[in-house]
Amino acid sequence: MQAKIFERFNFVVFLSAFALIAIGLVAIYSATFGNELVSGNFTKQLISACVGVVLVLAIMFTPPKYLSMSSYVIYGLVLILLIAVIVVGKKIKGQTSWFNVAGFGVQPSEFAKVATVMALAFFLSNKNKETDVTKLRDFMYAVAICLIPVALIMLQPDMGTTLVFLFLLLPVLYWAGMPNYIMFFIVAPAITAVCAFLGTWYFVAAVIFIIAMMMVFKKNILVSAIVVCIAIASGFSVNMIYSKLQPYQQKRIQSMFDPESDPLGAGYNVIQSKIAIGSGGLSGKGFLQGTQTQLKYIPEQWTDFIFCMVGEEFGFVGSIAVVLLFLILIWQTIHIAFICKNQFLSICCIGFATIFSFHILINLGMIMGIMPVIGIPLPFMSYGVSFLLSNLIMLGIILNAFRNRKEYV
Amino acid sequence: MDLSKRKNFYYIFSLVIVMIIAGRLVQLQLINPEKFDKDAERNSVKTIITTPARGLIFDRNGKLLVDNKPSYSVTIVKKEFDTNNIQVICSLLGMEESYLRSELKKIEGTNRFIPTRIQRDVDFRIISFIEENRELLKGIDYSIDPIRLYPTDFRGSHTIGYTKEISESMLKKQQGDYYKQGDLIGTTGLEAGYENYLRGEKGFEFILQDNKGREVGPLNDGKNDVKAISGYDLILSVDAEVQKFAEKLLEGRTGGIVAMDPTNGEIICMVSKPDYDLNNFSGKLKPEIWTALNTDKAKPLFNRATQTRYPPGSTYKMVSALASLQEGILKPNSTIPCEGSFRFGDKVFGDHGAFGSITIPTAIEHSSNVFFYKLVLRIGLDNWNKYGQMLGFGHKTGIDIPEETKGLLPSTEYYNKRYGPKGWTEGYVVSLGIGQGELGVSPLQMALYTAILSNSGTFNQPHLVRSLKNPVTGEITPVQYKKHEVAIDKDYFKIIQKGMYLVVNGNGTARSIRTSDVSIAGKTGTAQNPHGQDHSWFIAYAPADDPKIAICVMVENAGFGATVAAPIAQRIILRYLLGLQDESEVKDSFGER
Repeated sequence: MQAKIFERFNFVVFLSAFALIAIGLVAIYSATFGNELVSGNFTKQLISACVGVVLVLAIMFTPPKYLSMSSYVIYGLVLILLIAVIVVGKKIKGQTSWFNVAGFGVQPSEFAKVATVMALAFFLSNKNKETDVTKLRDFMYAVAICLIPVALIMLQPDMGTTLVFLFLLLPVLYWAGMPNYIMFFIVAPAITAVCAFLGTWYFVAAVIFIIAMMMVFKKNILVSAIVVCIAIASGFSVNMIYSKLQPYQQKRIQSMFDPESDPLGAGYNVIQSKIAIGSGGLSGKGFLQGTQTQLKYIPEQWTDFIFCMVGEEFGFVGSIAVVLLFLILIWQTIHIAFICKNQFLSICCIGFATIFSFHILINLGMIMGIMPVIGIPLPFMSYGVSFLLSNLIMLGIILNAFRNRKEYV
Repeated sequence: MDLSKRKNFYYIFSLVIVMIIAGRLVQLQLINPEKFDKDAERNSVKTIITTPARGLIFDRNGKLLVDNKPSYSVTIVKKEFDTNNIQVICSLLGMEESYLRSELKKIEGTNRFIPTRIQRDVDFRIISFIEENRELLKGIDYSIDPIRLYPTDFRGSHTIGYTKEISESMLKKQQGDYYKQGDLIGTTGLEAGYENYLRGEKGFEFILQDNKGREVGPLNDGKNDVKAISGYDLILSVDAEVQKFAEKLLEGRTGGIVAMDPTNGEIICMVSKPDYDLNNFSGKLKPEIWTALNTDKAKPLFNRATQTRYPPGSTYKMVSALASLQEGILKPNSTIPCEGSFRFGDKVFGDHGAFGSITIPTAIEHSSNVFFYKLVLRIGLDNWNKYGQMLGFGHKTGIDIPEETKGLLPSTEYYNKRYGPKGWTEGYVVSLGIGQGELGVSPLQMALYTAILSNSGTFNQPHLVRSLKNPVTGEITPVQYKKHEVAIDKDYFKIIQKGMYLVVNGNGTARSIRTSDVSIAGKTGTAQNPHGQDHSWFIAYAPADDPKIAICVMVENAGFGATVAAPIAQRIILRYLLGLQDESEVKDSFGER
């Protein structure tokens, strides 16, 4: 009997996710401690987590067929919500990304991440229609599925979330069978663009690298030439667009990459969060003892900056534990994607693993001052009802994939 | 597809991400303990905002009109402030506890970490109290803020304008986040019109503090600090002496004066009475003064030079005259019989005399009403409206202060909308011919109109500021303004000018102000006022053959234009052109009122 439970239920994924939620709750409690205005956040998050358990189990036991069949419907509904939120949504800090439903803020863009991965997975796994991503038409469909929500979220505007969508497309396509060289064709212009932004020599190096790679792939000379040309053009256009921006827009981009150049705006939080985490040392200052966090130096530390609490109050030991839990969660998800025979669920798992990885990289990187200041939350830990529930839906689908890993359909 | 190979790529990729994060954690929390221990001890960054000096304002001769002087403001850093001290602070500053609580509530986000002003222009005794009790009053500090100082002996209230603490709604509406709670912002007049130039750029100093609030040194060796930059100085076209003189002439009356240079649109003086003392707005504006200014029935805050909308009366007759000439309705020497009254339908419109058959200059000289009743009917409402627009009515003149009315210039659409297509008759148009009825203009518009009449059709955007001076480099940049030619033949303006010359120098309505010192051309007007005494208008320019000044004087409830407004205009012209200034004489000439 016991063996059978382990056969059908992946405790590793489940427990690592809920351990993260538990640590997140402790951190939220500490972050909102003594702050009357937001002390309800802990309770809200706790209730969401409890409701979430039921949600996770419900999704886990849903037949995979229903999940895949409903992908487009869910995707369509989310698009409608994204349009609606722009029209009637609540404006918070310059972004219109919220609905107010019975006192809870609902953020459709969080659910859009899940729905887009599902829709992509359903499209790419559609055996009957013989979807083939190496064909331009099918490739464009896949890109469109990803870019429609991106366009709508840009209108809110929420740059962090749009980046998540852009980032998840390539790993998903790769898992769905995109050949290496096409992957490289797509990535090449992005590489030159970033390098051109960094400086001329980076740009030259990038172009040489791309030419070398084209020789390795040994494709048609015309195709290779076109790829190199596009890459160079994208490198040039980046600087041209940048120079055309208004000074304040340039300043915003600059402060994103170099937060300390703007210590009153974007840089303020980063300077404070680095001090908070650094001052945690090996073992931390203890629960509710963090001076940085308890003195409320960091605004809204229960959302994007939640990791500061862990870093300061539980030190390196607590922080590395969180990071390892994430690694276990992501590796298990990749493992499930590999062993799952249902291609829809397999692609979903890869998409979710990508979303988690990207969130962790950007969020923790930003807090510790090695990534640009882009506001996206930390999975399972940051306060946010919509965000937590969307994470738990992903968890449910991952567990579903494990449970049904031996079935093809 | 060989997924077993591909999956390794994902394992490695996620491992790299986790390693980057873990590596950074090691660096922050383990390897570099010394640096971060120190930073943790200096666990807050104190931000000091340095307020730049607002730009100064000079008149056309370089006379300083608006200066700055230092004052002390009490500031509060919400994060550090102990709310148990609210009572102490309130009794110290003499403010209501509820007020301070509501001010504190407004401080949100990162603003909680920077000082917010809670009271401006406080006494030095309060500053020394704060200095002595620094340990007890955590989060309370003071800053030195420049406030306005007016070293002049005139008011210029509406022209210069005032600064006020930025309101909550303006804070929310602002683009970007330059303004913080408690900041001053130019609210009216030039202070508002040139806010972006005058204000300068704030400076920031970042200082590390330990947890006892002691300063332990600059953040990042002061590399993040930003120096405050003073605002641009304004060099006005206003002549302080003329302004002062004009204000004196209008003292005790209600009205507005605008005088401008017809060759370039520069405003020489602009007066609105009653006015108010700008010194009240420098530093802390007392609420009772603000309430009094707002509830005063004389409306001292209202800029009568640019915001009133009264019918211009007979001063408007030249619009019809020009329209008829340009449209070929009247030849330059055509005449119209003026019988002393005019019957339209069953209504009789009166006149102040029968002049026989007269030409345009004579009609202007005597301000015949019948002439213009008949003329406007021949021109028609649409053409009448078109020429009004060309001469600057019905829209804003574009003066460089925000307070300005576009007035009211009725059109066919306007009447259709207001009364319905059948609800009005041409009878409405008859009164418009003599500048009465639903026609609203400001003294500024009238001065601009006079300038265009005097310079034979050049529209110069009226303005108060000649140039901006960079306080750092000393570089002076002239401000560019619009200029265009009105589509009316120059010869037709000559006919109008002849009429206006005769008004003063012939047998016209303003012959009482004729003077041998300078030849003045002008036109009187009386705006019918259903609520009381008529308003008195006078427009004039001088010298008649080479105009250097165009002026409009409007005095409310002062009866005929010739008796009150015209002498004021004449004195200002003489003051500006010849430097004549005899106050007793001026006062005497109004004794008859």
